[in-house]
Amino acid sequence: MSAIVTITDVVKEYSLGATVVQALRGVSLTVDKGEFISIAGPSGSGKTTLLNLIGCVDTATRGVVEVAGKNTANMSERELTNLRLNTIGFIFQSFNLVSVLTVFQNVEFPLLLQNKLNAKERKERVESLLEQVGLLTHLKHRPNELSGGQRQRVAIARALVTDPLIVLADEPTANLDSETGQAILDLMRSLNQKKGTTFIFSTHDHRVMRYANAVVRIADGKVKGRESPQEAVAHEMELGPDPTLSTEVRAS
Amino acid sequence: MIDRGVLLVRIAVRNLLASPINLLIGGLILLGTLVFVLLGGLLDSLNQAMQRSVVGSLAGHIQIYSASSKDELALFGQMGNFPDLPAINDFPKIQDALTKVENVKMVVPMGISAAIITSGNIVDVTLEKLRNLYKARDGQPSDPKLSGVPREELVLRIESEIAHLRQIIKVLRGDVEKAMADMVNTKSVEPRNVEALARVEQPAFWADFDQAPYENLEFLENRIAPIVTDTSLVFLRYVGTDLDKFQKSFDRMRIIKGSPVPQGQRGFLIADLMHEDQMKLKTARRLDKVKDARLNGRLIATDDELKRFVKENRHQTRELVLQLDGLKTAALVKSLQALLATKETSIDVLLSQLLDTTDENFEERYAQFYELVVPQVQLYRVKVGDMLTIKAFTKSGYVQNVNVKVYGTFAFTGLEKSPLAGATNLMDLMSFRELFGYLTSDKAEELKEIQRATGAKAVSRENAEAELFGEDAEVVAEATPGVIDPDAALAGTGRKLREEDLIRRVYTQQHLDDGVVLHAAVMLEDPSRIDEAIARINQVSQEQHLGIQAVSWQKASGILGQIINVFRALLFVAVGIIFIAAMLIMYLSVLMATLQRTQLFGTMRAIGAQRGLILSMVLIESLVLGLLFGGLGMLAGWGVLAAIATTGIAAPNDVMYFFFSGPRLIPQLSTWPLVVALVIILVVTIGSTLLPALMAMRVSPLRAMQADE
Repeated sequence: MSAIVTITDVVKEYSLGATVVQALRGVSLTVDKGEFISIAGPSGSGKTTLLNLIGCVDTATRGVVEVAGKNTANMSERELTNLRLNTIGFIFQSFNLVSVLTVFQNVEFPLLLQNKLNAKERKERVESLLEQVGLLTHLKHRPNELSGGQRQRVAIARALVTDPLIVLADEPTANLDSETGQAILDLMRSLNQKKGTTFIFSTHDHRVMRYANAVVRIADGKVKGRESPQEAVAHEMELGPDPTLSTEVRAS
Repeated sequence: MIDRGVLLVRIAVRNLLASPINLLIGGLILLGTLVFVLLGGLLDSLNQAMQRSVVGSLAGHIQIYSASSKDELALFGQMGNFPDLPAINDFPKIQDALTKVENVKMVVPMGISAAIITSGNIVDVTLEKLRNLYKARDGQPSDPKLSGVPREELVLRIESEIAHLRQIIKVLRGDVEKAMADMVNTKSVEPRNVEALARVEQPAFWADFDQAPYENLEFLENRIAPIVTDTSLVFLRYVGTDLDKFQKSFDRMRIIKGSPVPQGQRGFLIADLMHEDQMKLKTARRLDKVKDARLNGRLIATDDELKRFVKENRHQTRELVLQLDGLKTAALVKSLQALLATKETSIDVLLSQLLDTTDENFEERYAQFYELVVPQVQLYRVKVGDMLTIKAFTKSGYVQNVNVKVYGTFAFTGLEKSPLAGATNLMDLMSFRELFGYLTSDKAEELKEIQRATGAKAVSRENAEAELFGEDAEVVAEATPGVIDPDAALAGTGRKLREEDLIRRVYTQQHLDDGVVLHAAVMLEDPSRIDEAIARINQVSQEQHLGIQAVSWQKASGILGQIINVFRALLFVAVGIIFIAAMLIMYLSVLMATLQRTQLFGTMRAIGAQRGLILSMVLIESLVLGLLFGGLGMLAGWGVLAAIATTGIAAPNDVMYFFFSGPRLIPQLSTWPLVVALVIILVVTIGSTLLPALMAMRVSPLRAMQADE
């Protein structure tokens, strides 16, 4: 299998007022094509920063991030945007749908940005995706008329509509109850198997980790290792429940 | 691309509906556009109407005058003063050069000035008549019309005139008593005057009148005539012009009474409104006004102004009584007694009764007044056919007399009732030049004769003028109608013949063109290209050293022409305030909406939208708002204008006739308010949105990853 994401010695620093915070302190990671990989770690460990770098919405302070064979360090804002549009699909924790657009229009949006397909082709593509996520009957609904699970399905359809090489999901089930969350993960998993799309998702929920091929454990801005889901779950048990998890769940 | 645009508009429309503050912003934009299109359209129509009035009544499209003039040309006066314009000397050359300029149709030479007319003193006129009658009776007639009249008739007419004089004296007695009661008119209550009046009131004075008629006449002339204060002043504004050209160029002009001045001859045309308003018998004028008002549905019973007119007519019979001699009084008393079925003998009371009009008897009394009273009196102080003697004075005391015959009265179609258009009279160019002391071509010939005979030296026109008038010659003119100027009467037949000759003399076009003018109206083929024509004329003047400057009708009409610009400025200020408010609210609203939607913008950026798309999304939202409501405002403004246009706006008073160029203003929708409104909307929306839109554009895609609060 060939690598689709290669991260080498990446450091990411943020300045918080006068102090500089290192979110990532020399991370190296390789993700192969078709993987269904989870990035695990407690809040503040650097999961989201890592996803941002892979998703090309942020660039590394030092080190090399290669996505689909391109070094993002040398790319312009416009090139990064195009890379995101054509290579990466995003699934957000809070769905991030455009509230004034219908289900169909939300899913169609990236295709319009790409401007490659005509109206008929777009319709076919959007409907096929919505069929796969089981929302063909809800084409004309607005996001606020849908449940949380349905919204995330729309978001998944939107992420996949451009046929991206990589789908990034940042805590995709954090705002869902566990049953719905499992259904979403089942769906992602099946799409990964059917299309061979690489899925990278962050989570600190060990129930979610089980679905992954592999779990990349990250803590204090460093990759602690690559584990199998079973190892990861065992690891989680050892560590005990993440103290921040419960508060976050309560908060959401 | 189109699909993306459609999507953005769709997002925009949905976002607009989501926020109620957009309705407020939209409402303000709608109001601003409505006001702008409506009032802008009205002002535009008003401007066009006024242009028709100004251009069509006096100014022409362009006015030219001396480039060296210190004063600006103000055809309708500037704060009551008239501009002191240096003369344009070589008019034929200028006319020649200007008619060659493209788009110029005609050049009409002009000179504007003013005079004061004093009407004749009734005592003077009556005494003059009486003197002539006595002379005829005594076998030395000085008035050719009286020679051959039988002695008996002359005696009868003398008696009638004496009765007239006694009637006048009775009226004067009343004046003096009134003045004494008011203690206002000190001149009338001078003891000397009271004493004189007391003497002529004695029956003895009249019983012995025939004993020494000439002596008594002299006493009346010297002591009584000066007391009479019936002379009233009329301010007479006139334009000296080539009358034929004027009538051809200003095609709204038409003759109301009399006839045009025959081609090439000297003559005077009175503005009909002025003739009616200021030269007609006041009683008759008031009756006319009541008649007019009643035709417009007003009633004497309910209308305060009409009530006042009736009251004035009843009380102010003086001007009628003063004109009636003994014979006329007797005849009128008789017919009025029959008409009113009364035995009343006082002419005052009878007239007062006749003029006591109500809504019921008005039509009847109006007809009776014109049938019985008017033939006995002089209806107009200046009549068609009268000779006006106009005198011009300068500071140095030099006096120029010009006699001109009144050929008729005129008005401009649609502006018959406008005091502004009806305030300017017309005079032929030769008389005007003579009055101003400029050499006319026939005077020049006369002068040449004298020069040959005497060997005098010629002085250039410029120097002569300066010598005669001084540096800042201010010309004040005075005119006396009808009454024979004693100087003129005494000057003998030679002078009289010369005057008659002058009146009949016909001048050629060359005579008219060849001489001084003060300014000139330029008529254009295509008035819409006026700016171009002005620039061209000024250029031609520079190139050929014509020494003239050209200004638009608007500028030439002085303050009057600027009124519309003032209104327009006020409109811009009012609409500006509305739009600034809209802009401010819009800015805050878009700013707030932008801050609230950073996650949306971040998400769009993350999933592949370029910055430009975000920028256009925010701008399109505002543009949709602005164009939607602005469009509604334009439509509403246009609708109201169209509704007004079906009936037009009636001129609320006579002055507005000029601004409306007729009795009604029919507004027309011109395109400029729409175009300007569109530009304003674009400026307002883009101006208020640009900053928040730039902020939205810069939202990082990272914002998408942050959890929604």
